[in-house]
Amino acid sequence: MVEVAEDAAETRGPAAEPTPDHPVRPDDGTGGSDRGRSGRDEGSSRSFAEEAIGHLDTLYRGALRLTRDPAQAEDLVQDTYLRALRYQNSYQAGTNMKAWLFAIMRNLFWDRFRGGRPEDVSLDGDGEVSLYDTLRDQTAMPEAEVLDRIATDEVVRAVERLPELHREVVLLVDVEGFSYKDAAEVLGVPIGTVMSRLHRARRQLQKALYEYARESGIVHADRDR
Amino acid sequence: MNCQDCLERLDRYVDRELTDAEIEEVKRHLVDCPPCEDHFRLQVHLKRLVKVCCDQGGAPAHLRAKLRQILF
Repeated sequence: MVEVAEDAAETRGPAAEPTPDHPVRPDDGTGGSDRGRSGRDEGSSRSFAEEAIGHLDTLYRGALRLTRDPAQAEDLVQDTYLRALRYQNSYQAGTNMKAWLFAIMRNLFWDRFRGGRPEDVSLDGDGEVSLYDTLRDQTAMPEAEVLDRIATDEVVRAVERLPELHREVVLLVDVEGFSYKDAAEVLGVPIGTVMSRLHRARRQLQKALYEYARESGIVHADRDR
Repeated sequence: MNCQDCLERLDRYVDRELTDAEIEEVKRHLVDCPPCEDHFRLQVHLKRLVKVCCDQGGAPAHLRAKLRQILF
């Protein structure tokens, strides 16, 4: 419960303007209605573009998981690249461009698609733990084997059903392999918040996948009782 | 290290966010504690599953073409 309050308090409004002191956030100081290209030679613009487009597939997948809609995902990715191009002077060559692009995309997502307000993250409380533990106790099948029988689509669906604040942490850490530190910078929250959201997200995923496994007959919760 | 200590560190262990010394402590506990080892295996498995399942498919060709026009 404390963690929820902490979340709410620590979440910097994702709609907020990019902060100049933040390493992976675009800095607004380049003032670029001209796309910020002035002061850059052709070669560095080109290598910036090459590097940026190299992250297209992973950004699109992230956008799809965030928006859950192909058309919105395309819009989000296109807007992300437009903004990246505009603020390319604030990107420091050699730093983590994927994190920088994700930070732009994540901020745009909350701005455009969610009206700048992160949804409240509700916590199911002890109920989810006990359900999980019950299933653990009552099924003889090893958990890993249960997971193997779950279809890819169902896993994606479970991820997409996570509350957005939890989902984006899973995307960054589990799918994209970001360190807690990089994820914290992308999200603009302390590392402790990344950890607590991740932990809860994983519990929720376990719960969702076990429920699916039970409903689809992969496990029988009452088999031995 | 007891089970509670171990389980509290499991996310960071799975995510490779612990120090070398902490990693050794968790490893030692897991060797001696099958229930914690089960938790660990499940977590690793789930993390890998999420990665594999969510990491499929790429951007549509028309989006890539449009972005190339914008970027280059």
